[in-house]
Amino acid sequence: MTSTTSTPLSGTERLRPHTTSAGRTSRRRIRKDLLRSRIAAWTAVLVIGAFGMLPIYWLLATALSSPEQTFQFPPKLIPTEITFSNFTALAENDQLIKYLVNSLIVASITAVLSVVVATYMGYSFSKFRYRGRRSLMHLVLASQMFPQAVLLVTLYAVFSSFGLLNTYTALVLSFTTFTMPLCVWMLKGIFDTIPDALLEAASIDGASRWRTLHSIVAPLAAPGMIAAGLFAFVRGWNDFIFAVTLADKEKQTLPPGLVSTYIGEFQTAWPELMAASLVVSIPVVIAFMFLQRYLVGGMTAGSVKS
Amino acid sequence: MTTSGISRRGALRMFGIGALSVAGAGALGACAPSGASTSSNGGDTKSKDFDFTSWSLNEEAAKPSIEKIIKAWEKAEGSRIRAVSYPYNEYLSQLTLKLGGGETTGAVHLDIAWLAAIAQMGKLAELDSTAMKGGYTNVALESGMYDGKQYGLPWNTGSIGVIANSKLLEKAGIKKHPTTIEEFEGALRELKGLGNGIVPYAAATKVAQLKDIFPWMQTFGCTLMDGDEVTIGDDASIDAVTWYKKLHDEKLIASDVDRFDARALFGQGKAAFYDDAIIGKGVTSAQSKDKTLADAMQPMKRPVLRSGDTPQALLWGGVIAIVKGKGQDAATEFALHTTSDRATTTEYFASRALPPSTTVGLSDPKVAQDTFTTEWTEKITDTATGSPFWQFAQNAQIEEAVAKQVQAVLVGKSKPKDAMKKAGEEVAALIRR
Repeated sequence: MTSTTSTPLSGTERLRPHTTSAGRTSRRRIRKDLLRSRIAAWTAVLVIGAFGMLPIYWLLATALSSPEQTFQFPPKLIPTEITFSNFTALAENDQLIKYLVNSLIVASITAVLSVVVATYMGYSFSKFRYRGRRSLMHLVLASQMFPQAVLLVTLYAVFSSFGLLNTYTALVLSFTTFTMPLCVWMLKGIFDTIPDALLEAASIDGASRWRTLHSIVAPLAAPGMIAAGLFAFVRGWNDFIFAVTLADKEKQTLPPGLVSTYIGEFQTAWPELMAASLVVSIPVVIAFMFLQRYLVGGMTAGSVKS
Repeated sequence: MTTSGISRRGALRMFGIGALSVAGAGALGACAPSGASTSSNGGDTKSKDFDFTSWSLNEEAAKPSIEKIIKAWEKAEGSRIRAVSYPYNEYLSQLTLKLGGGETTGAVHLDIAWLAAIAQMGKLAELDSTAMKGGYTNVALESGMYDGKQYGLPWNTGSIGVIANSKLLEKAGIKKHPTTIEEFEGALRELKGLGNGIVPYAAATKVAQLKDIFPWMQTFGCTLMDGDEVTIGDDASIDAVTWYKKLHDEKLIASDVDRFDARALFGQGKAAFYDDAIIGKGVTSAQSKDKTLADAMQPMKRPVLRSGDTPQALLWGGVIAIVKGKGQDAATEFALHTTSDRATTTEYFASRALPPSTTVGLSDPKVAQDTFTTEWTEKITDTATGSPFWQFAQNAQIEEAVAKQVQAVLVGKSKPKDAMKKAGEEVAALIRR
């Protein structure tokens, strides 16, 4: 029997893994790989971030520049003389305020109307079986298959014959035409994830179908409804071609209003346009800040079924 | 639980439904009442109240001076004018839709390039007898004519021509404006010699503005159209594009330049020549840091191929047309007043630098003492002509088709001969459509 003497290991040494030179090299390599992948990840984040943020920075930089600086060639990344006159000019423009109010009214009503109608349609498609259900579902989707401009002339003629041109109604109805299909399919997907057993339980407890939808299903689908509403709001807020065609100056929304005001026959007032764009995007940004978790949750809610 | 996936049968069904929807929507639109079938857009032609449609009524630079004219008219006549406006870039399509739909009535501001397309709709009143009362110049009157009839009263008549920077020319030792292509090329080389990143001629090279090549094609002898036949593709058009390519290859003109870029380059003293309308002086000098630039800007006759040829320029300006229907008579009087009343036109000139279209207006001291305007009229507008393509509603597509072929030559993707042949064929096909 061979006796071996060994030095007792201290507590920390006992815990430390057995180190050999091969182990050290391997650890170094792992550390190097980790560093490399971190650098690559950060570079990717920076590049993608710059790609996303640069237009916003350019918007801000132009809004704070004078026309002379804006047209400087070659362009300067950082404005050397900052001016707020483009922003103060906005406050004095009553017409822009009117466009802003019109946009808020039209986009909000579009959002509410789209969600209300899409909730009932989506629920019907999801939880009821009746003849022509699938055809109706496809009909709703089919309206997304051709360009908006194709429908513009027809809608114009229809609204004209009903005396609806130059009204909020024309704008809301036309915007809803395009927002509703996606809202319906989005909400149908969410309703599909709600187990039928829950509805049956409600029915056994004596709840009517109406009550079941409003008291049980709707609260569960709330994130999806908010997401659909946000989508409809943004779509209504951003539309240009329908707003310029179906509404006059009194009822026009911001996109055509800004273009009319700042993009002229001879020149474009870029600094003022950028300042106005920045200011008018604030309501949408605020809405997103408060509701973004619902938007993300709502968009993906129907993607996985239980 | 249902599935929301789409089967092949479902997709086919969806296409079918889509097609039916389009057909149904089309039928619904067709059933809707429209003013398209009648030449008048309805209403009392004797009404004192009428609409005035103009893209300028929204633009910050133009709005105050036009609103002033409207208010003065309303006060004097006790009538009410409803101002209607669409953005400039959307104006033609919006106006076509709304004029056809019977919504547009009264007076309508038109770019002279759009007059033919709008007049072809048959909704505009003939204004031959009214035009006789205005005292308009011949060039101006012609800008408001289509098919031998007066449909527009000329409001502002100018042209698109070459503007030179006299300070840069002086610096390069160029004593007088070049008058021939040969002299022009020589001047461009002298200017290139100044270095400092100078683009001697900020000519349009982007598709959006490459229609500027038409006057150069005409300079080389291409008529663009001969009767009903498109002449783009002839030797003269090939020579013009070959010459343009030569300037490009020698870096006497730059790539990716449109009107906005040209103004920026010129405004910073980086270009000695560029093409613009008469209003370019005000626009370019306003965005330049060099506050003496306006004084250095000079209108220049476009160089000709052979001494004695007529310098080419594109007519440019605006007219007021009248839609048959509500308020037609009062709108006609308003248009006549706005375009020919001496005090009104000179005041409009003072605020917007847009030259009047009447002989009286042009001779008013406020206008006549403006050297740039009078020189522009003499050197450029006097020989300016409209584009033969304006008579077609497809004008924009025609310009784009030619521009794309010219750009293909500039970037070396096509030979001038092949490109111009193709451009000519495409234009002919567009016209036939």
